[in-house]
Formats: sequence, C-alpha cells, structure tokens
Amino acid sequence: MGFDIKRFQGDVDEELICPICSGVLEDPLQAPACEHAFCRACITEWISRQPTCPVDRQAVTASQLRPVPRILRNLLSRLCTTCDNQPHGSGCGLVIPKDELAQHNCVRELRALIATQQGKLTDYQHELAEQRLVINEHKRELALLKEFMRAMRVSNPAMRALADQMEREEVVRWANSLSRARVTRWGGMISTPDEVLQQMIKRSLSESGCPPHIIDDLMENCHERRWPPGLSSLETRQNNRRQYEKYVCKRVPGKQAVLVLQCDNGHVDEHMMVEPGLVMIFAHGIE
Amino acid sequence: MANIAVKRIKREFKEVIKSEEVAGGAIKLELVNESWTELKGEIVGPTDTPYDGGRFILEIKVPDTYPFNPPKIRFMTKIWHPNVSSVTGAICLDILKDQWAAALTLRTVLLSIQALLSAGEPDDPQDAVVAKQYKENYQLFQMTARHWTNVYAGGPNVITEFNNKVQRIVDMGIDEHRARVALSTFDWQIERATENLFS
Repeated sequence: MGFDIKRFQGDVDEELICPICSGVLEDPLQAPACEHAFCRACITEWISRQPTCPVDRQAVTASQLRPVPRILRNLLSRLCTTCDNQPHGSGCGLVIPKDELAQHNCVRELRALIATQQGKLTDYQHELAEQRLVINEHKRELALLKEFMRAMRVSNPAMRALADQMEREEVVRWANSLSRARVTRWGGMISTPDEVLQQMIKRSLSESGCPPHIIDDLMENCHERRWPPGLSSLETRQNNRRQYEKYVCKRVPGKQAVLVLQCDNGHVDEHMMVEPGLVMIFAHGIE
Repeated sequence: MANIAVKRIKREFKEVIKSEEVAGGAIKLELVNESWTELKGEIVGPTDTPYDGGRFILEIKVPDTYPFNPPKIRFMTKIWHPNVSSVTGAICLDILKDQWAAALTLRTVLLSIQALLSAGEPDDPQDAVVAKQYKENYQLFQMTARHWTNVYAGGPNVITEFNNKVQRIVDMGIDEHRARVALSTFDWQIERATENLFS
C-alpha cells in the first residue's frame, strides 16, 4: 500500500498516485499493454480477485506485471517526505528525499544537526566577544572626546556660544519632527503623575529622539510642583484655563500626553511657561 | 474499517466536493457516520428524461474490502426504472457488480448511475414489471416514471389523471403507495389493480 500523500512536500503529480489506494506509489508495477501503474501490494491484491487492469479492465495476470520505467522510479525517489517516525509523533521533523528514507536514522540526523548548530553558536560567541571589545574602546574614546569638548566650551566663549546654538537647533529639529496634538478634555490632566507613569513617558520621549540634554529637565516639568505660577495649583489652573487653548501642543508618541515646548510657545504668557517646556500627562482626551 | 478503504473514501469525498458536477448541482455527497463506512449520495434526474427535475437519494455503503470490492449502492428514493427495483431500490449496473474496477470512484459511479437514468436497459432488468411495461408500452412507462418522479423525487410534472386514480383507490382504504404500485403494475387500469389488491 502506498505512502500517505500528506507526508509529501507540496502537490504530488496525479501520475505518481496509485489508482487503487490513492497513496503515492510504493514499489510500483505496471500492466503490460496499457502501462497503468500501481503499488505492488495493491495490484497483487486486486489481481487475486480479478485478472484485469483496475483502470481499463484489460486482461492482466500477475506474471505479466512489469517494473515501471526508470523515469517514473526517479520521479518517485525525488519526492521529499517526512521520516517514517513522523506519523507516530516522534519523528525528527526533517524532510528528506524519499530514496534516502531507507537509510534514514532520526537520532543520527538530529545529532549531526546539533553538532553543526553548536559549531555556529561557538563562532557567534567569539564574534560577540570581539564586538564587545571594540564597543568598549569606542566608549572610552567617546568619553575622552566629550571631556575635551567640555573643556573647550569652558575655556573658549566662542565655542560656548556655538555649542549652545547647536543644542537649541537640535531641540527645534526634534520639536518639528513631532506631530501636533489636540487636547479635547483639559480636565483629564494628571497634575501629580507617579513614578511609574513618569518612567513610561520618559522612555517614549527618548524613543522619539528627544535631545538628551533636555530630557531630564522636561521630565521634572511633568509634575505640578515644578509647573509655572499660572499652573501650580488647582485654583490657578481654574483661573487660567482659558489660556490653555493658546498652547501649541506636540504629541508624545503613543501616549496620552503632550509636550508644550518653549521653542513652540514664545507667544504664551510667562507665568504659563517654563524652560525648556512642559510635559502634561492626561487620563484621556488626546487626539 | 481497513485503512486503505478509509484513505480512499476520504480522498474521493474531497474529489466529489471539489468537482464541477457538485458545483453544477448534478450530484451531491454527504457523510452519514464518522467512520466513513456509510454515505448519502444525491443525483439530479437528467433532462429530456421522465426523471427530469427529480432529486434521487442514494444509500452508499462502503465495504471493508473497498476498493477491491464495489460500494453497495441503492436508491432510497422510490423510482420507476427497468434497472432499479421499485420495491427495494436495488440497482442493476455492471460496474457495481462484476465489472467493478478498483480505479472507479464514488464520483464516476454516481455519474454512471445518472447515465443509467438516461438509458434504461430493459433486456437486463432489475424490475421485471417495469421492464415489461418499458418494452410493451413505452409511452405509458414514461408517464408512470414521470408520475413517480413527481410524487417521490419532487419532480415538476403533475399527472392529474394518475393522481385521481390513486386517490380513488386510497378512498377504498388502501395505503397510497400500495395503490400506486398496483396501478403502475396494471397499466393504470383501476379494475385490474383493485382486483389484485382485494383478491
């Protein structure tokens, strides 16, 4: 009886299927005149009942059955199949050409697989160690450079002006990269966010490309204790709530929070703004 | 059930479901039980035959030795045809007997049975009464077959004359199907049919 068609990769051609068992031909034989091919076990069983070809009913006897042509045998050999142990749930999971099935041994195959994987793993570990070394060297060089820059900035006023200018431009670039946000419910503002919430917002800011020299200052300004006089208490917020609409807000990506940056909000009253900007976290109501 | 039989039937079932005959509504196949030993087939009566427009249900039993032996198939829907028993639904078709070949499938067998409805073979009958009528009074055979198709297989052609005759015998206290069989057998002559029923 033939091989279960489900064990083979992809579609198996109709010509390679036994018309009796509907499996893939196993040890096939063919009828002499019409050349219809069947599994040896299937056609033997059929001829013992009725000496005809099961497809066209031409007379055939067991002794007239012939092996199939080489080309058909080769096509069958080339089909890729799962190993014999697979249907029992304990196969090695590998797919192998059918003609190698007879010599196939799951344990040997899997050992070979493990050996190659282990070799690769060792290689990667070596590579990783080398990369770490390089990274550490780079870090040291970077620290040295920073130190050098700081020293230049302190000793040379022209350099200081240049560095400040560069930092400001970086903030503007970042601010322009963020999308505008609209606050629909100012009442949803959380004026005293806890530590966990703050960390979450900080991570999001960092991922959005917030320049490192302002991120800590910005995060300080997410709590009412650091907000400007016009926002510092519930009462002043109530009094100034009409001013909110003047704010140009930027979305903190993926969060119910907005940035009100100094560089975007030069037009706002001084008692409503602080350097380098405000972070306002909301329970809901951000679009 | 032998592994090979189940494997074959599963594959054939898929083949029929995907076939264009099913898409065109000419044949149908359904499972009756989980073990794949029994199925229910349905064929549509061919056009230009008395069976046109009828839907005929077939009982299909798959033997353990399938496909080395043919499936056992009979009509569940009553039918008036020389090669189908009007009593049991047994079918006289060579490929279901000695001409069975292992490469035949449920799809080809259902199509062969459908073809048998188009071309009755009265010289190799399963029902001698029907075959006799077929040979001696072909027009009456056709009307009777059309009447049976209308009553049992939902065919569209109502034959009022036959319905009235059946009703007259039913009024005498005879079961409707027995009345129809008697009338069909005696060429719709009420006297001979009643004589036979009451003798």
